[in-house]
Amino acid sequence: MTIDTPTPAPQHSPLHIIARKNVLAGLMFIAIAALGLWVSRDYPIGTALRMGTGYVPRLLCWILMGLGAAIVVQGLREKDAPPERTSWRQLMPIVVVTTSLIAFALAIEQLGLVLSIVLLVGIGAIAARDIKLWETLIAAVVLIALSWAIFILGLGLTIPVWPVW
Amino acid sequence: MELLNNLALGFGVALTPANIGFALIGALIGTLIGVLPGIGPIATIAMLLPLTFHLEPVSGLIMLAGIFYGAQYGGSTTAILVNLPGETSSVVTCIDGHQMARQGKAGSALAIAALGSFFAGTVATFIIAAFAPPLARVGQSFGAPEYFSLMVLGLIAAVVLAHGSVLKAIAMIILGLLFGLVGTDGQTASQRFTFDITQLSDGIDFAVLAIGVFGVGEVIANLTRGEESRSVMSEKITRLWPTREDFGLAWPAALRGTTLGSILGVLPGGGATLSAFAAYVLEKKIARDPSRFGRGAVEGVAGPESANNAGAQTSFIPMLTLGIPGNAVMALMIGAMTIHGIQPGPQVMSERPQLFWGMVASMWVGNLMLLVINLPLIGIWVQLLKVPYRFLYLSILLFCAIGVYTIGNSPFSVLIAAFFGVAGYIFMRLDCEPAPMILGFVLGPLMEENLRRAMRISGGDPMIFLNRPISLGLLIAAAILLLIVALPAIRRGRQEAFQES
Repeated sequence: MTIDTPTPAPQHSPLHIIARKNVLAGLMFIAIAALGLWVSRDYPIGTALRMGTGYVPRLLCWILMGLGAAIVVQGLREKDAPPERTSWRQLMPIVVVTTSLIAFALAIEQLGLVLSIVLLVGIGAIAARDIKLWETLIAAVVLIALSWAIFILGLGLTIPVWPVW
Repeated sequence: MELLNNLALGFGVALTPANIGFALIGALIGTLIGVLPGIGPIATIAMLLPLTFHLEPVSGLIMLAGIFYGAQYGGSTTAILVNLPGETSSVVTCIDGHQMARQGKAGSALAIAALGSFFAGTVATFIIAAFAPPLARVGQSFGAPEYFSLMVLGLIAAVVLAHGSVLKAIAMIILGLLFGLVGTDGQTASQRFTFDITQLSDGIDFAVLAIGVFGVGEVIANLTRGEESRSVMSEKITRLWPTREDFGLAWPAALRGTTLGSILGVLPGGGATLSAFAAYVLEKKIARDPSRFGRGAVEGVAGPESANNAGAQTSFIPMLTLGIPGNAVMALMIGAMTIHGIQPGPQVMSERPQLFWGMVASMWVGNLMLLVINLPLIGIWVQLLKVPYRFLYLSILLFCAIGVYTIGNSPFSVLIAAFFGVAGYIFMRLDCEPAPMILGFVLGPLMEENLRRAMRISGGDPMIFLNRPISLGLLIAAAILLLIVALPAIRRGRQEAFQES
């Protein structure tokens, strides 16, 4: 970075600092490690020679927590690192994709492959902002034909194709 | 003579109609996903892992390998014509390749990329054939302590050679090790991190984790980014052959790229992407007039494109001979082997020569196919670039869902994949690369097993790792790597190498 280029004033309010990539990443590792330590609180530890169930997990969690703390410190010491921003537009695909997979998982054994694909494609298509209804329908039909050809015809898998009543 | 006999055996396996067919399928899928930005070889191989369960082991591995090196061919097409990397390993090809295309030399650039890749693929195949057997013999003399130290070195090298923060990469490895612990503890039969969910007592399936993080995670990441505009070069590609002048500049660069890529591919953490970056830096350094780079220098296409293909192929060497994955794709190949009950390691070559040599021979066959697929048929692939991402992601999502479901006919696996999809997106968003996590997940159980075995040999004395010379040497190498990466000068150089684009 050269000196004479005007840079936007770095933001130093606490919330902006926490929203930095490195700080968030470090906090994520600390949170995972804390969860791991809490879940494994009753696992027997044993000794280095005769390791118990909890020895390796707890050791790894403590290391992870240390690394997370180091990453947070690194993030705090950065100069003018931009805070992460997330808009609803960005969060929407996460919700949509997850919902479509959950729907598929719940449907596959009861409703069969065809209806599950219709569900997954129908819900999943919401994430694309500019997809048209007829495009979604064509995508569903093509994908049903393709999956049937590959998985049922080609590989002979025993996935229910139609609803089981 | 032994080499020729082995290759003859290999070609006998690779040239059966079925295996030619699977090599072709792999090469075609590889080119397809290589051309299309938004889906890479890691996600594709992860998605197809469950399918290979229903194939012969050799055929499945031949197909998966074809996808990996096929993607190196396809990636350059998009880089040259659209100025978008079809794959991360072709990021540097954009710089000069697209400039060549703008100067009306698109055909020349495409031909040089494909011919360079083919040359590199041929050389790399012979390198694997020549160096794998002696390396496997070394591997067979290894005991548990040596293996443990080798894996430590492998993990550390993967961290050093990965781009981005070293601390984050180590944290991701630890996270991978932790995910590997979920399930029933083999020693005491008690449950770890299962949250009282019965389906988790067998642990997290490797394919489910990989499909979630790389398949679903990438879909989410691409959707949040929004669709990028792709301006495909509209003018017709007229001349699909380099001029004599271009050819004269390209072949020494291809030679250097192949050499560099072959070496970097073998290193843990190496592979296609690192090789391509390093080759570009090298070409720019030794060029008489470095200012030509960025304005359509032929060497800037020939070097990296040869290097990424060479690196992609030689990264099979540690995986095939020692059972140690150097990058995420190799971790997936190990997964594919264990699905078939094949224990990866030096014994694969002696116990299953058909599998080993068949795979090696198929690489050359596949490269030959790719030359045909990519050069005369280039027009078809260019058309594919016009398929919008909104169709692509629905297909990827569906294949992830069905693939995960078929692993154990378990709807619960689809839910785990969805969970890891969100996790994978968060990791990518926070610049935490998921590849080291996969390496940790795969190597974790192996390390634990070898650690426990080494302790049994020594009667609980950790000095065993320092008393055995090979093990000591490997650990010293790991320590030196860690020291190097801590030096500020090296750290800067490492950042520069990855910021070339």
